[in-house]
Amino acid sequence: MRRLESFSIHGLLAGLALIVIASGVTRSVLTGGLTVSKKVNITFWNGFTGPDGVVMLDTIKRFNEANPDVDVSMQRIPWGTYYNKLTVAGSDGGGPALFIVHADALPRMRRAGFVATIEEAFQGPGALNRADFDPYVLDRVKFNGVFNGVPLDIHPQGLYCNAEMLKQAGMVDANGNAHVPQTKEEFLHAMKATTIEVSANQPEKQWGYALTAWGSNMRCMMAQFDGRYVDQNGSPVLDCPENIKALEFVANLAKNGTVPPPSNGLGWFGYRQKKVAMVWDGVFMLGDLTRMNSFHYLGGMIPTIGNHPGTMANSHVMCLRKGLTDKEKAACVRFIQYVSNHSLEWAAAGQVPARRSLRATPEFRAMQVQNAFAKQIPYMQYPPKTPVIFEFQLILDLAVEKAVRGQAEPKKALREANKAVIDILNRDKVEHPEDQGS
Amino acid sequence: MTFRQRSNWVGYAFLAPYLLSFLIFVFLPVCMSLWLSVVQLDLSNATHTKMVGFQNFQDAFKDDLFWKATSATLRYAALMVPAVLLIGTLLAFGLFGMNKGRDTVRAFIYVPGMLNVAAAGILWQWFFNTEFGLINFVAHKIGLPALPWLSDKAYAMPAVVIMSIWWTIGATAIVILTSLQQIPTSFLEAASLDGASGRQMVSRIILPILRPVLFFVFITTTIGAFQMFGQAMILTGGGPEFSTRGLVQFMFETAFNGFRFGYGAAVSWLLFGMIAVFAVIQAAFLRRQA
Repeated sequence: MRRLESFSIHGLLAGLALIVIASGVTRSVLTGGLTVSKKVNITFWNGFTGPDGVVMLDTIKRFNEANPDVDVSMQRIPWGTYYNKLTVAGSDGGGPALFIVHADALPRMRRAGFVATIEEAFQGPGALNRADFDPYVLDRVKFNGVFNGVPLDIHPQGLYCNAEMLKQAGMVDANGNAHVPQTKEEFLHAMKATTIEVSANQPEKQWGYALTAWGSNMRCMMAQFDGRYVDQNGSPVLDCPENIKALEFVANLAKNGTVPPPSNGLGWFGYRQKKVAMVWDGVFMLGDLTRMNSFHYLGGMIPTIGNHPGTMANSHVMCLRKGLTDKEKAACVRFIQYVSNHSLEWAAAGQVPARRSLRATPEFRAMQVQNAFAKQIPYMQYPPKTPVIFEFQLILDLAVEKAVRGQAEPKKALREANKAVIDILNRDKVEHPEDQGS
Repeated sequence: MTFRQRSNWVGYAFLAPYLLSFLIFVFLPVCMSLWLSVVQLDLSNATHTKMVGFQNFQDAFKDDLFWKATSATLRYAALMVPAVLLIGTLLAFGLFGMNKGRDTVRAFIYVPGMLNVAAAGILWQWFFNTEFGLINFVAHKIGLPALPWLSDKAYAMPAVVIMSIWWTIGATAIVILTSLQQIPTSFLEAASLDGASGRQMVSRIILPILRPVLFFVFITTTIGAFQMFGQAMILTGGGPEFSTRGLVQFMFETAFNGFRFGYGAAVSWLLFGMIAVFAVIQAAFLRRQA
């Protein structure tokens, strides 16, 4: 028995020692401790998990081939958990050297303290031309006059049409091609003309138009009705008359039964299933359609329903982590410039390049949907520039949902939302007095 | 060193790996979350952490979204716990009464519980789809109207409960079945000889014997119900209008999307308090019944 006990203790200790040694060796191997590389290794995180990721991988491959001294490796993480991981990694001083952040999430990431300034991308050899970017977009990546990222693209919301349905409804131009509605009258007419009730020949109702992400649909109208999130002093004005008009238009579509009822669940899926003729959605949804061979779709600007054209938009922004060595930063900047210069290929994945010069090329103009959506750039509106964007958007989306479902009048829903957002911003001012006004 | 002392050391040595992981992954995080609940820690600005006492708890009581999440959690528990107890018991009785094929049926009932919540959720997303879901397809075939399971407030929570029952009922039924199988047959034979009806045997003999295991199921299902997260997150995302967004999802989104770790930790302690209160009330109630 004593020998057995002695054996157990020695066995246990030997086992533990082996585990420790093995983990040390493994760690060393995994962290590259046993290999020496002269290349600058750059880790690049993003949420491009769809077809866009394939295009980005291809771009990286070509960059690595053209730049043998740099090795960029990409880590794709679904957007749903991306920012959690990025923030935790970044706050710890680790994290990727290079990462993508949505323009509206940049203030929050910047507050976390790990986003480096990136003036170098606009200076020196290979510098990007500031004038080639829209000032509105550049303003979203500037804090206290300094660049915190380089916009890769713009993704506005736009109108997707089923060309066959428009043609069948008689919505055609002089050449007999489907005519994409542009004005309120044309849009309402197209909605009515493409709506087909159930009959002997029509087993299921065909809808002319369906709401998709209600919050985004409403924000498109906000841009058209001169609505805004905050006033000139930065105080929330979600319940301003212009926003109420925008929400009333969207909510009335549901209330009047001119779109599928809120509980129906049709929307983008209905459009893909050819049960809906028209929807508004982001340009990034294009990747979903390009895989469908039998679907003849067309893109257009969101029809002008308000005072002027307008849509909501956002951008993917390329950012750097603080604490990189000069060599690493130089390699990252070179990569960012390369990706920006080649963002026409990126556009093919369902995006609009942030670069004006690329949008002016015949290649881009030939991209029907992207080009049509890009025409809205002078009128687009981004989400508010605030570090509490998550809560801000959550509250506004809830107000829109209440109004669309008929649970509250638009005015009341927005008033409540505004009050909640004021509370959130006041709390933020108290908790973060050092980070106001940048 | 005596034999007893040496035996103790061997025991501790074998326990050490578990104790170490318990300390690192359970005890330490619990202490951390207690500390977090009384500080203002925004991960997006972790350098500005400060002690705020019970402010986070006070904020929760004033937060409409916290109360919405509490309401959703209570509604889920109110539907889930009785349903699991009832269906689990009925299934166990059914299995107990089977002479042939019991093991096969038991395996089939248990299989859903082996699925990851994400896989189960995605499967049921398809089942519940208004347009092309299996449930509405069957309903249509038998002349019933299609229901907007996941997009209407009236049906969303029942949908989450149905999926949760399907996912968890196998384990519950087997626990109750195991207890049923341990009832000495002599009890039932004696009762039968004394002229007891089937109903009397169930109410006077079987259920009283099952009481401890039913209590166990009651407590564990209640705790599980308060911790509901993955099912709603995948099926409905917490909607419509936050009607299925439970406390754990609220806590997760506050901490990991909003980066307000202090507030999120305070919510987690409030949830712990609720579970503890319910567990104590249930225990006291059932003890009195016994």
